[in-house]
Amino acid sequence: MIRITSYSLKLVILPNVKAEHYNHMTDADLLDRYASEGNSEWIGVLLERYTLLLFGLCMKYLKNEEEAKDAVQQIFLKVLGEAGKYKIEFFKSWLYMVAKNHCLMGLRGRQGRITREITDWLPLVADEGNISLLLQNENTYAWLEEAMKELDEKQRQCVTLFYLGKQSYFQVSEQTGFSLLQVKSYIQNGKRNLRQTIERKMKESSLKK
Amino acid sequence: MNDDIKDILSNLNPGIDSATLLLYMQGKLSQEQRHEVEKLLLENDFESEAMDGLAQVKDQQGVSTVIEGLNRDLKVKTTRSRKNKRRRELKEDPLLWVALLIILLLVVLSYVIIHKQLQQG
Repeated sequence: MIRITSYSLKLVILPNVKAEHYNHMTDADLLDRYASEGNSEWIGVLLERYTLLLFGLCMKYLKNEEEAKDAVQQIFLKVLGEAGKYKIEFFKSWLYMVAKNHCLMGLRGRQGRITREITDWLPLVADEGNISLLLQNENTYAWLEEAMKELDEKQRQCVTLFYLGKQSYFQVSEQTGFSLLQVKSYIQNGKRNLRQTIERKMKESSLKK
Repeated sequence: MNDDIKDILSNLNPGIDSATLLLYMQGKLSQEQRHEVEKLLLENDFESEAMDGLAQVKDQQGVSTVIEGLNRDLKVKTTRSRKNKRRRELKEDPLLWVALLIILLLVVLSYVIIHKQLQQG
């Protein structure tokens, strides 16, 4: 079955890498070791967990393999330089922000456009709080069903097949005739719209009380 | 249905290991496993964007080689960075310089004393 880790990427595919010896350590553990020993090899072990994601992210924005590889190496250097300067609570979110900003800056240099720097890298604790409130709320099922009816037809169709039919994007695509990209987009947008509608309903309900 | 519908709102946000992501990219997972990965990708922006990017790589089988290469370079960087740090620490350590100065003074002083005694003798 699919391996899911609480601290994301384990380097199971790279057998010659020492990093796999530290799979039992969380990102926070590795950061703590780095902070206490000042040995940058701990940051190296940590970064190796995210090499694949970094390369993928850089590919998405830069759309060129060589540029993406260069960008990943520059991000490594940036992290090695920055990691010891302050305490990083959520390494994955911080790294995501650093990498995304690096790519956006690269694009800005390439296109001469002003690109907004992302600073909201902290996990959306408030958002997660809202979701847990929603999940505990007894009206949520009813609201969800109402919200589903309010969804755009294409979004409803894809969300239903994906979440309730437990189908993969490919299967949804085959059933609906939409492309894989359309399926992904309808599911993402449908999910976001459902959340917004339900949050609105929850607020309205609490105001009435 | 009620349990499944709650999946739409849940946001457990666990990560996915890279081996699974690679198998997903290479189309080596069952439809059920693909669904599970896709559900997690919807919750993780980092992974989701990375998968969008990885899908653009022409040689999908070569991705793991690229990652190995990047990790090798990273290892060199972290080792070099550690050595540089040690060298810098040595350079910046004032105690080391004081110790060297004291040793040098002792050598000069011993030479002067021995030289004088030899002259007197």
